[in-house]
Amino acid sequence: MAEIIMPKMGDAMTEGKVVRWYKKAGDAVKKGEPILEIETDKVNLDLEAENDGTLSDLSAKEGEMVPVGGRLALVLAAGESAPAAAPEPARRATDKKDSIKHTTGEYGEAMEMKGPRIDRAAAEPSAAPTAIATPAPGGRRRSSPLARKIAAEMGVSLDQISGSGPGGRIVASDIKSSKPSSALRAPSPVATGEGKSIPLTAMRRTIAKRLSESTGPIPHFYLTVDYDVTNLLATRVQLNEVLGAKLSLNDFIVRAAALALRHHPNVNASWGDDAITQHGEIHIGIAVSTPEGLITPVVRNADQKSIADIGTEVRTLAEKAKNRKLQPNEYQGSTFTISNLGAWGIEEFTAIINPPNVAILAVGAAEARAVVTAERQIVIRDRMKITMSCDHRVVDGAAGAEYLKTLRQYVEQPVRLLL
Amino acid sequence: MSEMSYRDAIRAAMMEEMDRDANVLIMGEDIGIYEGTFRITAGMLKKYGPKRVIDTPIAEAGMVGTAVGMAMLGLRPIVEMMTVNFAIVAADQILNHAAKIRYFSGGQVDIPIVIRGPHGAGVQLSAQHSQSFESFYAHFPGIKVVAPGSPADAKGLLKTAIRGKDPVMFLESAALYGMKGEVPDDPEYTVPFGQSRLAREGRDATIVSWGRMLQLSLIVAEKLAKDENIELEVVDLRCLRPLDMEPVYASVSKTHRGVVVQEQWKPFGPGAEISASINERMFDELDAPVARVTGEDVPMPYARNLELLATPHEEQVIAAVKRVMYRE
Repeated sequence: MAEIIMPKMGDAMTEGKVVRWYKKAGDAVKKGEPILEIETDKVNLDLEAENDGTLSDLSAKEGEMVPVGGRLALVLAAGESAPAAAPEPARRATDKKDSIKHTTGEYGEAMEMKGPRIDRAAAEPSAAPTAIATPAPGGRRRSSPLARKIAAEMGVSLDQISGSGPGGRIVASDIKSSKPSSALRAPSPVATGEGKSIPLTAMRRTIAKRLSESTGPIPHFYLTVDYDVTNLLATRVQLNEVLGAKLSLNDFIVRAAALALRHHPNVNASWGDDAITQHGEIHIGIAVSTPEGLITPVVRNADQKSIADIGTEVRTLAEKAKNRKLQPNEYQGSTFTISNLGAWGIEEFTAIINPPNVAILAVGAAEARAVVTAERQIVIRDRMKITMSCDHRVVDGAAGAEYLKTLRQYVEQPVRLLL
Repeated sequence: MSEMSYRDAIRAAMMEEMDRDANVLIMGEDIGIYEGTFRITAGMLKKYGPKRVIDTPIAEAGMVGTAVGMAMLGLRPIVEMMTVNFAIVAADQILNHAAKIRYFSGGQVDIPIVIRGPHGAGVQLSAQHSQSFESFYAHFPGIKVVAPGSPADAKGLLKTAIRGKDPVMFLESAALYGMKGEVPDDPEYTVPFGQSRLAREGRDATIVSWGRMLQLSLIVAEKLAKDENIELEVVDLRCLRPLDMEPVYASVSKTHRGVVVQEQWKPFGPGAEISASINERMFDELDAPVARVTGEDVPMPYARNLELLATPHEEQVIAAVKRVMYRE
C-alpha cells in the first residue's frame, strides 16, 4: 500500500489544489502513470503512481485544497484492502474564506471561485431593492445608521417599527413617523367586542398625508364651543350637598365627555398606518400638572362610572401623580383626553393631542357672562368655553362638531349625567 | 469681472502668470505656430516668442522630462498635453520623477510643473482620447490633481498651480471649453487648492462632483427643485488631491444622503474613495448607502449617441438621488 500525498514544491508552499483526477477509485494504475494534476502557487504538475496497484481512497475532490503532506489517495497492491478507517488529512475547502494569510496560491483560487460565488443582488444593489418586504421572524432588522442613531436618542426599539426601505430597511422617516406612540409608550387600549378596525381608503390616506405634511405628524384643527353651565353648576352644588362630597366641575365634564363618546366612536379612536382603530372602551386621560411636568392618569371606562366615582378616582390619581406614585397602568391606555385650566382662570385655550388619541378637550373657566337669549334679552348666565383639538387624519370638522353638539346636551342638561 | 469662456480663462491665467513671472513658460505639441489643437494658446507665441512658447516633437516623456529638469533649475514650465490621455506616455516622468524629487532630495528641490490639457469625454474623441484620470494620478503622493468645473475656477486654480511648488495635473474638461461664466479680472485672483466649495445649498441630498459633472449636477438640481420639490446640495471638490472633504461631511450631516457623480469608470474611481471616506466619518449620519453615478464600464465609443449613453446623464443622477431618498 502506498500513499499519494500533497508534495511540498517550495519553501513557501503550505497547500496545493487538486485540479483533476485522471483516474477514479478502483482503477488499475501502473508505476509512473499520472494519477492526478495538482496546482501550487507556482506550477501545475501531475502526480504519478509510485507502484502498480489499484487506486483507492480518493481523499480530495477536484478543486479542493489539501495541506502539504495531506493524503490524496492510496494505491493498493494486489490482495490489499483499504484500512477500515484511514484518518482523513486535515483539509480546507476552497470556498472557506477564513484566511488572513494570502499565499500567492490563493489568488488563483480566488479567481476561480469568483464565478460561481458572484451574488448578483449584492453586486448591483439597485437591481433588487424591494424584493424582501419584511425580514424573517427573529432575523436581524435592517436599519440605516441614522435610523439607529435616532431610535437610540428617542429610546425607541427598532422591534416595534416596520421598515419602508429596500428589503424592509428601517430608515429615518420610519422612526420619525413612529414617534408619537413609541415615544409616549402608550399601549393601544384593549379593544372589546365593540371595537373595530376600519381599513384606510385611498382617500383617507391622501387626506392623512396631505394634512400631515402641512402641520407635522398630527394635523391638528380646533373647534371651540361656549356652553351654558348655569344648570351644571347648580347641579354640582346640589349633588355635593346630597352626597356630602366635593365634586369638581371637571368631574362632570369627564362623565359628560365619556357619555358623548358613546355616540361618536369615530372620536374615540387611534390612527394607524393601515387602519383607524375605534376603541370599544372609553378611557379618559386627565391632564395633571406635576412639578416634573404633565402626566395624564386615566379613568378607565369613564362612561360606566358615576360622577362621584369619577371624582374619587381622579383625586386619587392626581395625588399619586403629584407624588410620582402612578403605576404605568394608571397613566397608559387612554382613548381620549381632557385638559382643564379653568382653575387657573383661563378662559379658553387649545391643547395638543395626546397620541395615540385623536382628540383632546381644552376646558376653560366657568364664568358669569352677559348673554343675549333667543328672546333677545340680556341675561347673566354661567358659561364655559371648551376647545376640542382634533387629529384631522381621523376626525374631520363635521365629525368633531357633531361630537361637541352631543356634548352640549350633556353639559347643558346635566340631569342626563345622573342617568 | 468679465464674461469669459473656460478656454479663455485658462489662457488668461497663463498669460497673466507669464507677464508676472519671466520663469513661466509653456511647451507642447502644436501650441505655437498652430496655436493649440483646442486654441488654448492662441496668440501666445506671437506675444512671448519661441523661447517661452515652445513647439515640441511628439514626445511626451521627453516633454515632461525636460520640464522636470527646467523646474529643478528654477523655471516654472507648463506642459500642454494635446489630451491628458497622452500623459500616460510620460507617466514615469510624472509619477516617478516629478512626484518624487522633493522627497528624494530631502526637500531641497521643488518641482513646480503644471501638466494640463483637455480631459474626459463629451467631444467625440473616442476610446483613447476621452478617458478620465482623476484616480490614476490622485492615487500618488507628491502630485496635485485639480479639476475645475467653471471658468472662474479654471482661471483661479490654474494660477495657483503655476505659482505653486508642486507638480500639478490640471485636468480641463474638454466639453467645458466653450462654457462661459463670470471671471474676476484681478491679476491677483487665485483659488487655493484643497478648498471644496458649496456650489448649491440644499436640504434633501448631497451631490459630490467636480469638473464637467459639476455642471450636470447643477442642472439636475435645478430640475429637481422645479419639478419635484427636491433641494439638492451640491459640493464642488475642485481638487482631488489635496481633497477637502469637510464641506462634504457638513452637507451629509445635514441631508443624511450622498451621491457622487463622476465621469470616470466606476471601479476604483474617485467615487469609491469619497464614498468610503463618508462611511468612515459619517456612518451614523447616513440614512442610505452613498450612491455613485459613473460612466459606463467600457472604452469610450466614438458614435455620438453611444458616447452620450456611456457618460453620466440627467436621468441617472435623478434616479440615484431618488434611490438615496427612498423615493423610487
